[in-house]
Amino acid sequence: MPTRLPVEEGYFRIPHDPDGSPILLGSYSPAAKTYFWPRRKRCPITLQAVEDCELSTHGEIYSWTFVYMPNMGSQEKDASGGFGAAQVDLPEGVRIQALLDGTEGDFTVGMPVRLVTRQVGTDSGGNAICTIAFRAITTDGSHA
Amino acid sequence: MLNRPVYVVGVGIHKFGKHDASRRDMAFTAGMDAMNDAGIDFDQVGYLYNGYIGGTMMEGVTFAKDFGLTGVPVVHVENASATGSSAFREAVLAVAGGACDSAMALGFDGQLRAMGGGRQAMNRPAGMEASLLPAAFFAFWAVRRMHDNGTTVETFAKIAAKNWNHARFNKYAERQAQAEVTPEQVLASAMVAYPHTAMMACGAGAGAAGAIVATKEIALKLANGRPLVRVMASQMQSEVYQPGHIFLGAVVGPSESTRITANLAYKESGIGPGDLDLVHVHDAFPIEELMYYELLGICPDGEGDRLVAEGATSIGGRIPFSTDGGLIGRGHPGGPTGLAQIWDITQQLRRESGQRQVEGAEIGLAHMMGAGSVCVVHILKSERG
Repeated sequence: MPTRLPVEEGYFRIPHDPDGSPILLGSYSPAAKTYFWPRRKRCPITLQAVEDCELSTHGEIYSWTFVYMPNMGSQEKDASGGFGAAQVDLPEGVRIQALLDGTEGDFTVGMPVRLVTRQVGTDSGGNAICTIAFRAITTDGSHA
Repeated sequence: MLNRPVYVVGVGIHKFGKHDASRRDMAFTAGMDAMNDAGIDFDQVGYLYNGYIGGTMMEGVTFAKDFGLTGVPVVHVENASATGSSAFREAVLAVAGGACDSAMALGFDGQLRAMGGGRQAMNRPAGMEASLLPAAFFAFWAVRRMHDNGTTVETFAKIAAKNWNHARFNKYAERQAQAEVTPEQVLASAMVAYPHTAMMACGAGAGAAGAIVATKEIALKLANGRPLVRVMASQMQSEVYQPGHIFLGAVVGPSESTRITANLAYKESGIGPGDLDLVHVHDAFPIEELMYYELLGICPDGEGDRLVAEGATSIGGRIPFSTDGGLIGRGHPGGPTGLAQIWDITQQLRRESGQRQVEGAEIGLAHMMGAGSVCVVHILKSERG
């Protein structure tokens, strides 16, 4: 299995476990008692300092869509005819916007999802370039 | 608050749509149209704010030479979809603050470019900062609205059809349907991003529009029997943190930006939502117009669907929205869009709008969102002698 690398540094890290979820790199404001993603240089609410933190790897769909066009950075549609995307609320109160695995009929508001990596390219060294996506969690806790 | 009264004395436009006119020719046409409407020439323009998203960095000052070499200060303004509205606001502030007695805002752009970090055409992975297409982003608003309020796709289709039909009475609009557009036609068009179909999406052709503002003294001299059109409020806000704030990938910030900015404009003008006769909004998709009914205070939260069902926001209804077709019907090139709103409201308040005239129009509100994001709200009011 090729080494997986984030498409851009500073937003998430990829664990060594190939089945492990990517870890979002966020910020916490002690003054506002509020979490943010991606990292902030200072608290946008209080203008005070923030601390680095890592955020939950699961959440619930706040809203979703299925886009009948090629994905960002591509000129061709996926085999499913497009791509899913969602806004997901994490337990820390952070809302994340990202790609969503599946097709149009698969999604509902409130559906529990977890973070996964999705390969979006390969670099010259053969490494897999990855972004983040969400995937539904089935009732037994496994991936859909 | 404006330090001295400011009036719209001239408006101009070049047809919106997919045509072969150059950016330079469109800008010249709209600018000359605005000056002719005002009854002045370029040597009487004290400041020029050019608004454009595309093109090259020197276009604004270069194109200004076509009007003449008068030494007028020329500034390029860019604020995504709110570029024209921002240019207009800068012109208003320049006159209100005394930097000049008259100023022109001129917006022009070719076909609106897709968002996404500019990498789509390069077949390279999009970076984390890349935004989804607006059709997808505003689909999030639509799906959540359907979940929370039971809004139906038919409601979205009715709003889109209304704006297509308003555009039929605007010869400068991009969309020129030969016959009345029905909600069924809107729903039958190709799906772009559920629940948005192609006919729900704003037009994205080229165009240009301009507006000239001036002091009351100048406005009175130029009135020529027409009512004056006063700028009662000019407000802009960038984002204010809201629960669920999305920092990465969002096209615009929290929808509350509209409520915050509108309330500042209402406070500045002493005019409330119940006083408005017509409204223009950033109706790039019908879910936006639906939510802005409520965020602008036209109706209580959750009751926007009822306005659509009653036809209240059509011309002839209680409070018409997007009377020139809006972004969906008139089009949305970017730079000139907010100025096209000012063009239509000014004509409405002067009662010069022909078949799309709102009966008894005295006060109009113009609202735009700009990706990034900003919200801009202006309120115009007629003064009859």
